[in-house]
Amino acid sequence: MKSLSFIAFIVFWSVAGTLFALSLLVPGSGPVSAGEKTYTLQDIARHNRTDDCWMAIAGQVYDFSRFMPKHPAPPAILAVWCGKEATQGMKTKGYGNDHSPAAWAMTEAYRIGVLKKE
Amino acid sequence: MTAKPYLTRLAIWLLVSLPALTAFVFVTPADFSSAGAVLNLMGRLSGGLGLAGLLVAAVLSCRIPGFDQSFGGLTKLWQLHHKLGLSAFILLLAHPLLLAFAAAEVSLAAAADSLFSMQPTVLYGWLALLALMAFIAPTFHVFGEPDYQRWKRLHRLAAVVLMFGLLHSLMLGRTLPASWNKLLWGGLGLLALSAMAYRWLFSRYYGRYRYRICNVAAVSDNVVELSLQPLQVPLRYRPGQFIYLTPFASELLAGAGEEHPFTLSSAPSEPVLRLAIKTLGDATKALQSITPGSDVTVEGPYGCFFRQTELKTKGLWIAGGIGIVPFLSYLRHCASQHQAADVQLIYCVQDEQHLLFAPELQQLTAVIEGYHFTPHFFSRHGALDLDFITQHCSDLRARQVWICGPPPLILLSRGIVLGAGVTSGDIVTEEFTLL
Repeated sequence: MKSLSFIAFIVFWSVAGTLFALSLLVPGSGPVSAGEKTYTLQDIARHNRTDDCWMAIAGQVYDFSRFMPKHPAPPAILAVWCGKEATQGMKTKGYGNDHSPAAWAMTEAYRIGVLKKE
Repeated sequence: MTAKPYLTRLAIWLLVSLPALTAFVFVTPADFSSAGAVLNLMGRLSGGLGLAGLLVAAVLSCRIPGFDQSFGGLTKLWQLHHKLGLSAFILLLAHPLLLAFAAAEVSLAAAADSLFSMQPTVLYGWLALLALMAFIAPTFHVFGEPDYQRWKRLHRLAAVVLMFGLLHSLMLGRTLPASWNKLLWGGLGLLALSAMAYRWLFSRYYGRYRYRICNVAAVSDNVVELSLQPLQVPLRYRPGQFIYLTPFASELLAGAGEEHPFTLSSAPSEPVLRLAIKTLGDATKALQSITPGSDVTVEGPYGCFFRQTELKTKGLWIAGGIGIVPFLSYLRHCASQHQAADVQLIYCVQDEQHLLFAPELQQLTAVIEGYHFTPHFFSRHGALDLDFITQHCSDLRARQVWICGPPPLILLSRGIVLGAGVTSGDIVTEEFTLL
């Protein structure tokens, strides 16, 4: 058991270190590019159904239509945020707890643009 | 009647699995929608299992006298604590990696973000994990055997681990509905907190018996027998049990105010407590020359070497070195109660010089009906083997076997008697080693 724990300890730091090094070496998506699309809250409001669901979160705009069936909580919980500014929903999950960093990172795959400042 | 140890162990593992088992009720098809989702679920479950393992390991370390009986004694309870702690450690190392692998389905940046986020909740998780590494690392013996007292002090980091681990789980947990999350982690957290409060506060100030050293008798050049006179209510115990002793004499060159475990050598009916102490480190060396008159505290009793004060079966006792002490306590008890004991004691030591309490062990053969004493000298007889045992104990298979001594002797003797057909349920062992 002790040997297994020691091996797990070494493997942990090897993998975490590799991930850290790779994240420094591989360029990320970076800040919003100059030519990125902007949307108003009115644009977003038109996509307010579970099969066509856009949300604005922290100044970014997301199309979560493909993600709705994958979300761990039932779609009805998210559906109320479709077509709306949903930063609060993302940060509180309805009972005060923020989403995990992994969840925040995953939203990137569904980002379609930025919210136009009004 | 105490619960069977395997049932208690099963109950403990079930308690550890409770958050993970409850989580399965709330798993949705979305948790299996992709490889990333499955890895994410595994990551969350390993975190939950790991934290529950640590919390229950903390509960087991409370050392409330009597609590160890249903586990088969304190050393067996420590072994379970050790297994739980290391299993939790492995699971908690896997937890952030699995979550990072899950996020890698989105992008490498997402994977790194999930691991190295500056979000406070994630930092709490890191703090808990690093503190856990700091107190588990000495167990790996990379820099040799850890110092017992330093190792014990490092274990106090467990409070940091549990506090930040619980915060991390309460703020980030999403596998269970919020109310279940609070109920389960709050309940387990409260149990662990109560155990730590008992260990660090109650036991220190209220849970110990006060005694005064009234006699110090040299048994050999590195073993001494202390006699302790009760200052208040005396300790009640069974033969073969052990206690934690804290001496306070200012003359001690080492170990004043530190607690160490010692097996009681006296019979429970004696007016004083007696314990035999062998030099194993600085603190036990200092105790060899302590003068009578100073105060000590005693916490216990612990251990379950002899379940009853009157043996129901014929016994074979194998002792090694200072491991003779629980047997001596039992024999003194038999003599004081005029009780017979059908036992064959084989006492293994290097040579005649190393026999402890030899005259008394020999004398008691005339007092206790059925008791036989055979010394085994490694220098003369070689390693203990089946021939030697059967020569002195021809009906070995009809006997229950008790073994106490250094781990190599326990391993060897256990192998011999198992090979001769004694079932493992008929073998009782007690080893005193730092895990």
